[in-house]
Amino acid sequence: MSGGLKFGPNQPYDVIICGAGHAGCEAALAASRLGADVLMLTGNLDTIAQMSCNPAIGGQAKGHMVREIDALGGEMAINADTTAIQFRLLNASKGPAVQAPRAQCDKKAYQYRMKHVLELQDNLDLFQAMVQGLIYEDGRVVGVSTNLDVEFYAKSVVVTTGTFLRGLMHVGKNKNEGGRMGDFSAKGLSGSFLEAGIELERLKTGTPARILGSSIDFTNLEEQLGDEEPTLFAFYDTREEQDLFHVEHFGQEKLGWAPGEKQVSCWMTYTGEKTREVVQDNLHLSAMYSGEIEGTGPRYCPSIEDKFVRFSDKDRHMLFLEPEGRNTNEWYINGLSTSLPFEVQLDLLRSIDGLEKVHMLRPAYAVEYDFAPPTQLFPSLESKKVENLFFAGQINGTSGYEEAAGQGLIAGVNAVQKVRGGEPLILKRHEAYLGVLIDDLVTKGTNEPYRMFSSRAEHRLLFNHPSAELRLVEHSDRLQLIDGQRVAKIKAKSEKILSWVDRLEVERTRGESYALHLRRSRSQEDFPDELKTETREVRDEVHYRVVFKGYLERELKQIEKMRHIDHIRLPEGFDFGKVKGLRSESAEKLKKIAPLTLGQASRISGVNPADISILMVFLEAASRK
Amino acid sequence: MPASDTIVALSTPAGESAIAVIRLSGCACPELGQSILGRQSGLKARHAYFGIYLDIKGKRIDDCVVTLYEAGKSFTGEAMLEIAPHGNPLIVQKIMEDLMARGCRPAEPGEFTRTAFMNGKMDLSQAEAVSDLIRARSDKSIEVAQRQLHGSVGRKMSELTDRLLSVMAHLEAYIDFPEEDLPDENQSGPAMDLRKLINEINELIETQHYSALLHEGIKTLIVGEPNVGKSSLINALTGSDRSIVSDIPGTTRDYVSAFLMIGPWRIEILDTAGLHEAVDVIEQLGINHTIEQAETADFFLLMLDSSGDSPTLPAELLARTTAENTIVVENKIDLTGSVSHDAFMPDFKHARVSLLEREGISELRQQWQASIEAGLKQPNADGVVVNARHAAALGDARDALELAADKLKNLELSELVAADLRDAVEFIGRVVGKVDNERMLDSLFKQFCIGK
Repeated sequence: MSGGLKFGPNQPYDVIICGAGHAGCEAALAASRLGADVLMLTGNLDTIAQMSCNPAIGGQAKGHMVREIDALGGEMAINADTTAIQFRLLNASKGPAVQAPRAQCDKKAYQYRMKHVLELQDNLDLFQAMVQGLIYEDGRVVGVSTNLDVEFYAKSVVVTTGTFLRGLMHVGKNKNEGGRMGDFSAKGLSGSFLEAGIELERLKTGTPARILGSSIDFTNLEEQLGDEEPTLFAFYDTREEQDLFHVEHFGQEKLGWAPGEKQVSCWMTYTGEKTREVVQDNLHLSAMYSGEIEGTGPRYCPSIEDKFVRFSDKDRHMLFLEPEGRNTNEWYINGLSTSLPFEVQLDLLRSIDGLEKVHMLRPAYAVEYDFAPPTQLFPSLESKKVENLFFAGQINGTSGYEEAAGQGLIAGVNAVQKVRGGEPLILKRHEAYLGVLIDDLVTKGTNEPYRMFSSRAEHRLLFNHPSAELRLVEHSDRLQLIDGQRVAKIKAKSEKILSWVDRLEVERTRGESYALHLRRSRSQEDFPDELKTETREVRDEVHYRVVFKGYLERELKQIEKMRHIDHIRLPEGFDFGKVKGLRSESAEKLKKIAPLTLGQASRISGVNPADISILMVFLEAASRK
Repeated sequence: MPASDTIVALSTPAGESAIAVIRLSGCACPELGQSILGRQSGLKARHAYFGIYLDIKGKRIDDCVVTLYEAGKSFTGEAMLEIAPHGNPLIVQKIMEDLMARGCRPAEPGEFTRTAFMNGKMDLSQAEAVSDLIRARSDKSIEVAQRQLHGSVGRKMSELTDRLLSVMAHLEAYIDFPEEDLPDENQSGPAMDLRKLINEINELIETQHYSALLHEGIKTLIVGEPNVGKSSLINALTGSDRSIVSDIPGTTRDYVSAFLMIGPWRIEILDTAGLHEAVDVIEQLGINHTIEQAETADFFLLMLDSSGDSPTLPAELLARTTAENTIVVENKIDLTGSVSHDAFMPDFKHARVSLLEREGISELRQQWQASIEAGLKQPNADGVVVNARHAAALGDARDALELAADKLKNLELSELVAADLRDAVEFIGRVVGKVDNERMLDSLFKQFCIGK
């Protein structure tokens, strides 16, 4: 906390963060950790960092992003590790690049700890008030107005309002305004965006019902245990113990469980024989099928209605029952999104194996909300329409806590960089999933809630999760996102890895180099004994780089080939209309997206390689004049 | 409106003709059309106006027909104007000069097509087809170019891409959605699909020879000893006296070329100096020249005098001939001493003719066409034929797919297979434009019920 709440035009903050979800938390922490004077406003201090849907962090590509967030000094990784109740490494049978950590978290513990981290943070003020409008001056944002009729001023503002903009929830024909069941809907803010010329569109998402654990019959269900040796999100080999406080023990003493201890199980079940019938008989009552909902839902998270309609040949669908915490008996049903009416939902639940006598705590619902198409943003996440205004999270059309947190961190850093006149932090597509995420958003936009998939990253083979810290250390060092001690440890780790990689190429075992041998056996068992004593982080990274050397080099070569066009900058306000020979369709798209580099231009859908060649020739000719 | 962005070119060949067509493309076209005809109101698009061409000073130049095409509905996508005066070079020159005076600029070669491509009126393969179409010298060549112009290559690439994306989607589903209830991961389906794709791409690549021969013609060399009737054969095939025919050996010292059609195939036939031990320097030069020509020839007619001994030909030349690209033509079967030379080059096809009696020539033609087509990969039923640029991109794609197929066979990690498939998609995209990852995701979510 800082010296006290400041309000009114004469006491501007450096940065105001509107919203305290996963994006808002990382934005506030990143900005204040950089030493900026920060205010975080939220409509409800009790729902900070709430997991509105599945109480889990990580998963394929998402787990990678959490580790990247940790590499950049973010909080999500530690917060998940210290509140997780089950850890699983996904894709353990596949190669290291696509193995991904995932953790089931204690929903409430996650929130408490994050709230407490915010409370402990220097330079950060928290205040409960709902932002109702932005205050503009000469095309820039200078502050925000709230429902308490108090105005707060700042040099930059980060908006992380999630699904709350004109949120509308559907349970069958029943409609409630709000961004989340039990919470409000932010209505004024949409108007404030429209006033500034920021376009808004609608998206749709949903969440399944919650049930009482004691009403589940586990007899015939399949148990899913956590990993004995958990794969954690945060890098512990390069940081100090005191960062790792637990929700139950702030201060010196360690209480409660350490990450990975006392894990709890999830359970698998299937839709039953009657489920299809219940869905089909009531399809006309579903908000999505009756035309009540206009927004576009995600392809990767269809409702149970969609599953039965689109995959009619599939008899049954798998569902996961996941506990929401250690101190609650509320359970989440993964895979059962629906917008069917309440009473149909009851029939639906009771048709599922093990849920014959289930008690529903909260119904499933679909929610529609405004988002601001992210092609209206620069790669720094600053609005092209309003200076000093940054957007992060679901308002940019994304889905997922990890996607939100990653954007929040970048927006928080860049809001400070903007105030200080520094270069923004823009990660390249070949550096991190976070780079792919933001480049996709600002370059291509999205028609559905955007979720990260590893296939979106051309160079995912370079993104094995243990390498996140090594990949991003230049950025975190340059911008001082992490302390110098940790930087030094990361660099030492990096050197150690490089030296081992070199040594294995020359040192010999059984008549050949270790490297050649390992490329065949792929087993760390065949490491020299000295290497076996290194940390898991070092071992895994050395193993990956030696075994997959050829593949990694191929990726690097491809990146090198593309590098030059990523370095050719397009001047701000560049007039694509005057480039002779550019296809008119492309010129229009380029004008709309206004890419900053030729590389970005090349990734806009509908812009062809021929267009890029033409632009390149034009820029070269112009630079010769 | 400035006319500087408006290009102009004579679209009909230079020289005298009944009419000439001068074509313009650019934003000044509507205004130019009105002003050259001295009209008060603008021209209606796609209507032919008959009038008198008035130059910039108002002087009458010639009667002409003028047609305006509006932007967006023309060949180039820009506004276009066609002016058809009488085909007198002087009149054409005056009109062209006047249009320059009005600010138009002469079009660069191929600029109309390029503009059409730039304006999204056609994809790259269609733009290429325009030049093929203009240069086409045979019915078949025209047909193939027309099909390509209407997007046959683009459609084929799109189909291949979809199938490839479907294989990718299959692999990616198991990578990106490890917790889903997917059928057991089994790579035999994708492996089979890949094999089919590779075979089909190989077939497509092979059609490039068909297309090259079709569009560029088949260069055929007639070789043989002096005075076996090489020049007479050309005359018999083309029905002219192009080559000087005499019975003095070595009359043809320089090569003589003529064009003829064999079925759908356009043949450029080269008469060569007779190959024997040269008696003078000039003859030796001619023989060397023949050997040089043989290096780039597609086909050979190896002629001999059936009443004489089998010939002895230079080894350099024989090295280029195969049973597929050569026919042995035994001439002078009308002579009493004529015998069969089947034992000479026994693997090769032999044709027996008498050029003097005009015997065996149509049989030779049939044999010749069969020979050309036997070694040639014919396009599939869809008639898609690719050019050298397409073939190069497809070759790269095929190589990437082979790598992927090998990995699948060896049960290699699927993310490594996926990297090769991604390369392949990129290479195929070079033919008609890039492929976005969204298309793969669409395929994935259609194939698999994802939704934990």
